Amino acid sequence: MRTTHPLRTRSAARPRLAAVTAVAVAAMTLTACSSGDGGSSASEESLRFGLSAEPVALTTGVWQGSATNFMLTLIHRGLMTLDDQGDLVPGLAESYEMTDDTTYVFTLHEGLTFSDGSPLTAENVKSSLEYYANPDSGSTLIGGLGDISDITVDSDTQVTITLEAPNNAFLEYLAVPTAAIVPEASLNAETPNEVGAGPFMIEDAQAGVGMTLAKFDGFYDADDVALEEIDLSYYADGDARANALVSGDVDMIDYVTWENFDRVGSTDGITLDATPGPFQYVQFNTTEGPFADPLVREAVAYAINRDNALTAAFQSNGEPLEGVVMPDDEALEGVGDELWSYDPDRAEELLAEAGYPDGFEATLLATSQYTFLQDTALSVQQDLQAVGIDITLDAPDWSGRLEKGAAGDYDLAVSGDVGIVTNPSYLLGFVTPPDNFNRSFGYENEEIAAALTEGLRATDDDSRRAAYEEAFDLFATDVPFASIDTRDQAWAYSDDVEGFTNLTGFHTFFSGYTLVNTSLNR
Amino acid sequence: MFSYVLRRIGVGLGLVLLVLTLIFLALHLVPGDPAMLLLSQGDGASATPEAVARVRTQLGLDQPLLTQYWHFLSGALTGDLGESFRNRQPVSEAIGERLPRTLELVGLATLVAVVVGVPWGALAARAGGWFDSVTSVLTSIGIALPVFVFGSILILVFSLKLGALPAGGFAEWGEDPNRHAQILVLPAIALAVGFASTIARMTRSAVLEMLHQDWVRTARSMGLSRRAVFRRYVLRNSLNPVVTTVGIGVGTLLGSTVLVERVFNYPGLSSLLVEAVTARDYPVVQGIVITIAVLFVSINIIVDVLYGVLDPRVRR
Repeated sequence: MRTTHPLRTRSAARPRLAAVTAVAVAAMTLTACSSGDGGSSASEESLRFGLSAEPVALTTGVWQGSATNFMLTLIHRGLMTLDDQGDLVPGLAESYEMTDDTTYVFTLHEGLTFSDGSPLTAENVKSSLEYYANPDSGSTLIGGLGDISDITVDSDTQVTITLEAPNNAFLEYLAVPTAAIVPEASLNAETPNEVGAGPFMIEDAQAGVGMTLAKFDGFYDADDVALEEIDLSYYADGDARANALVSGDVDMIDYVTWENFDRVGSTDGITLDATPGPFQYVQFNTTEGPFADPLVREAVAYAINRDNALTAAFQSNGEPLEGVVMPDDEALEGVGDELWSYDPDRAEELLAEAGYPDGFEATLLATSQYTFLQDTALSVQQDLQAVGIDITLDAPDWSGRLEKGAAGDYDLAVSGDVGIVTNPSYLLGFVTPPDNFNRSFGYENEEIAAALTEGLRATDDDSRRAAYEEAFDLFATDVPFASIDTRDQAWAYSDDVEGFTNLTGFHTFFSGYTLVNTSLNR
Repeated sequence: MFSYVLRRIGVGLGLVLLVLTLIFLALHLVPGDPAMLLLSQGDGASATPEAVARVRTQLGLDQPLLTQYWHFLSGALTGDLGESFRNRQPVSEAIGERLPRTLELVGLATLVAVVVGVPWGALAARAGGWFDSVTSVLTSIGIALPVFVFGSILILVFSLKLGALPAGGFAEWGEDPNRHAQILVLPAIALAVGFASTIARMTRSAVLEMLHQDWVRTARSMGLSRRAVFRRYVLRNSLNPVVTTVGIGVGTLLGSTVLVERVFNYPGLSSLLVEAVTARDYPVVQGIVITIAVLFVSINIIVDVLYGVLDPRVRR
């Protein structure tokens, strides 16, 4: 039974202090609201960009991820670049000529300078490319530039590059953002690679918050660049990034997460620009255990339900991949695209043939840090259980995934990757040493490597096609990796932004190149 | 009083040293190689073992653990916390930039929480009846609701639907004070809700307990007004547990800011900590953990001293 205490009153005493506080908070909120639309002010020529990660200290020549590559497409340029159709076109070079299968003569634009005012001449081209071609520099361009046998400076604006053998990916490698021509002073691992000859230059940077890039008037094509300024803000969280675009805080974002595709795409005044880009696959430990046997690997390739994986990880924003990602090239039509299919019966047959009629146990390595990889792994786990392979999932954070991957501490693993170039030579890294966290551990196949290299060196379409056909016949049965799907990479921007293109395929991460054609129309 | 304070500070220093050592060990023993992470930032390329080794040497990671520990300890004592592995910014500079932002957020949230929570709890205790029941329910919700859920709801309503406040981001006070203030509103409210609920409940229990005391009844029977008795005898004595709660709560709030800063994209110390841990940026993680430890220990010393001020019995 409740008794009324002498000091408790029935009527609520006036909560004066609480009321005052409530009024104060409300007043503060209302005054904040009343000034402006809640978004940062939009200007005619300054593009407000929400970037998915803060670029790390720029190290010359080294591939440091998509956010850093984006920066490079803005402040640097190489001999070649990509236009708004994704076609390979001269960049710092005004023109080039192939005098024979292995010799390229590049003529630079007149009067080129870097953003600090110093001149850019053929000497810089020579020193930059030699740096990138040197394995000691840690550059990841060796695959394309390692064939360079000689660089001769003919004049301030002309340089002749000779290769050891024909290389039909050479020009494409020159368009990779990390192959930019940079000042001598930047050609080491310590100096931040911040001075370049690109359309923009760094004006101001605030660690953890953002960066302001101003138009570089000395850029060779400066007259055609419409944007005066790009105002980068870092939004590491995918939802926060999408919110910023939808609420009008920024004009454009990169890397729309797949859960936000529908929301962003259906918002009035916003365009979602998506294209298939990176591909996902299963890699194997081929040094020990069941996956050293190609029959078992092939079984996995037939066991995977690619549509399920696509739905699970990307809400179907992508395409199933039954072969390998090939460039958009008429001469290679149909090559490499159908190596496997979803056929659990065939998978079981292959397992029996390999001596595992009752299946076996295995550990599948994924990562908890990237949900799309984890979801893909869960889907693959189900598929493998269905054919008798009992899977235990191991999903550490990204750092743990790197370590285990590099040490081969797994039976199979799920990964995502993108080629540095669209040329099939990107596959060489998967079939030749050294090992790394993103390829089958201990795997090497000289025949496939030879066939891929033959395709790279071929000087006519027929021999090129024949070489790749041979390579992929071997691929289908030796299975350096089992493809799963390609995923859509999306940029998104308000209708004020015109002229931007999301370049297709692996070039999607280099779409920053098209910001030279982009303008704001408010 | 003086020896009391001195004792508390001594214990505090010992605690910080312990934290320093533990975080160093934890970081270096947990799997994950910062060099590999730096070079494997995303799709497209993998570093060669030589490149990784080179970066490890550059970062000083190839030295014996004890050497690294000594280097770290001596640096910390002189105020040199090293450089970030990722952008080479001096750690003390990064902390100097971002700590005030988080403190601002925490301070505002604490202010709102205390100003709302204490009177609310006291009133619920005094008034009873339906108001008390409603308070019970609301504070339960406030405590149970995760900050990031409430934060997301706030963004949905105030930024996306109404367009009244920014969804996140940051502007310096010096450059754009208006936007700076706007940006603080939603995250502060998100943080304050749970805290205010906890304070309200604590205050309510404390006040209720006081109301039952004999000396309160005596004071009342001696002719003092209800309000005077409440103010002079009940409230002040209730504040001991409330002050402790606020002190611990501020420490917990520092933890909640991790989620809030993420949701609102607020570049404070907590979001830097999360990024640094993910990237195994050892110097930054160590620096931030030391800073938070020192802060936390200091707050608790202050609380203990306040306790001594409020209740003379404790000092002896």
